[in-house]
Amino acid sequence: MQLNHRMRLPEAKKYVADKLKVSTFDLSDSTVMRNLREELDIGCVEAIPGLAKGLAAKARIADLLDIKIACVEKLKEKMP
Amino acid sequence: MSKIWTRMGDGSAIELTPDELRQEIVAGSEDAADKGQIPALDENEIDKLVEIFSAPWRVIGVEPGHEVPLTKDETACTLVSSQLSSGAHLQISREDAVEVFERVFAFDTMELGWIDYSFKPAKPMVSLDQVAVERLLSTTIFPMLYGAMPNMGLYYTPDGPFTNPADLLPLMKMDEARAEEMNAAELCMEDMIYVCKRFDEIGADGIDFDTTASAGDADFWATLKTVEELKKTTDLGIEVGMSGEFILGMHGEVEYNGKRLAGMFPHQQLKVVEEAGADIFGPVCNTKTNKAAAWNTARAVTFVKEVCKQATIPIHVNVGMGVGGVPMFETPPIDAVTRASVAMVEVAKVDGL
Amino acid sequence: MGNEEFYKEAGDAIKACDKEKAADVAKRALAAGIAPDEILKKGFIVGITEMGDLFERGQVFLPELVLASDAMSAAAAVCSAAVAEAGGDEEVEEAIVLGTVQGDVHDIGKTIVVAFLRANGYNVHDLGRDVSADKFIAKAEEVDAKVIGMSALLTTTMREQKRILEALEKQGLKGKYKTIVGGGASTQNWADQIGADAYGEDANDSVKKINALLGR
Repeated sequence: MQLNHRMRLPEAKKYVADKLKVSTFDLSDSTVMRNLREELDIGCVEAIPGLAKGLAAKARIADLLDIKIACVEKLKEKMP
Repeated sequence: MSKIWTRMGDGSAIELTPDELRQEIVAGSEDAADKGQIPALDENEIDKLVEIFSAPWRVIGVEPGHEVPLTKDETACTLVSSQLSSGAHLQISREDAVEVFERVFAFDTMELGWIDYSFKPAKPMVSLDQVAVERLLSTTIFPMLYGAMPNMGLYYTPDGPFTNPADLLPLMKMDEARAEEMNAAELCMEDMIYVCKRFDEIGADGIDFDTTASAGDADFWATLKTVEELKKTTDLGIEVGMSGEFILGMHGEVEYNGKRLAGMFPHQQLKVVEEAGADIFGPVCNTKTNKAAAWNTARAVTFVKEVCKQATIPIHVNVGMGVGGVPMFETPPIDAVTRASVAMVEVAKVDGL
Repeated sequence: MGNEEFYKEAGDAIKACDKEKAADVAKRALAAGIAPDEILKKGFIVGITEMGDLFERGQVFLPELVLASDAMSAAAAVCSAAVAEAGGDEEVEEAIVLGTVQGDVHDIGKTIVVAFLRANGYNVHDLGRDVSADKFIAKAEEVDAKVIGMSALLTTTMREQKRILEALEKQGLKGKYKTIVGGGASTQNWADQIGADAYGEDANDSVKKINALLGR
């Protein structure tokens, strides 16, 4: 949100928190976010079999946050 | 009176009384205010810095809820390179290094850079870096940038085609020196645009221009013009990180949008970086090694607070060896690093480190 | 014209980076009976000090600083010649050998230090960049230098400063020259660790430290 949408931190946190339906405080609470990341399948720090990783996780994040991520768009261009 | 254990700007340990600590903080802030012609910190902010530096714990952190993104430049070099980049020379690839920063060190963005970390030597190797970034874009989740230094000095003799201004100035060949600086700036800009566009092609999230303006005002001009071009023609996010707290006037007369670049302090640098279209600005304030860490942190926070106040884009301050209040020492003491970091978040109100 | 007006004109000539005017003011001030060291201290040095301060504040830039130091040299030459003509000892500018160490091509900071030192009346032999220990020592011997100044930007190349000091020691020359180190990664701690006589934090500090080393 900062790099591609020039949002200052409070605005960026609020945008993400609203999209994820949590509070901005929750964004840096690892217990909340760990479970949420697994539930939303947007990638976790640990390597959990079957969960989205790398580009797959980013594609889901782009969808959740309603943003475009360049490499996800590149992947779409390559799809038949 | 009890003494507070703290540091000097070279990392050596010292003890100060509470009064001495406050005096250092006030003096550091006033020095920045005087140099930058900006407001000094107010009493509440001074109190906060005193509290930060008086904390009895070796490592401190921000208040819960005040966390900021943690980014890193020259990533791979830190793990893969040698002392040249304060690197540990691990026998891993640069791509491995980036993944370690995501999954082990929990960084929030990352960049890949050529081992020399300057655009000029990176140019002939760009296809190698393209595939490395391409691979990382599919294996990592955090925003993935390509990073390099404009490092315009590489375009002067003995490394480049143009006569070194450092040789021309003592001969009083001012016009010739200035002409060579602009020649170097033009070529530097061409190289940077070429390299950066290759990363737009493969879907990188952005570019980090690191240590910008290290060769002075013409170096800064080359970066601003490059940013302008990239924002017009690519989807890249752009971060401009600086090399020093004021733009060295090697040329002295270079202007960007009618503003003289030489002598600009961080809040003035911000404005031209915004005009060029950059998305994130990384101010730098240099550490004085013969002053206390508290003096240096207060000084850096004063500069950066003004930047944050005036900014319309996110501010990711440089907090590392010899900058942002951190001592000039290859392995900066963690107590001083965390104090400078907390001060930047809680007092300067930065958007990231 | 009173002495104060001469002092002001002298300072202004330096700030205007006007070499010819600086020499002219020096000649007229001497003809009016002002002692050479008076016009230097109260006029020209005040001007160059102000230029150094403005440089540090980002209000004056490197080309002007270099031109101002050239104007300063012209004024100092006139004053020095006048002392010699009057039968006194012509003031000999103390020689300093300065360069960026071998393996390091970063010379912007070193160039600024050279300008500051010249402005302060030193005869600086700028060896440039990527200078070997042997070259530092040979030049210092050749010009009978008082000080050897070593600049290094990088943590890797600053070790070369140590090598130069070791080479001086090996050749029995340690102590013959005062030594000062500077550059991005250097610190007072580093200077102490390798046995350098001083550390220059920046250009202004380097002048102060060298003045102190030479008892100025």
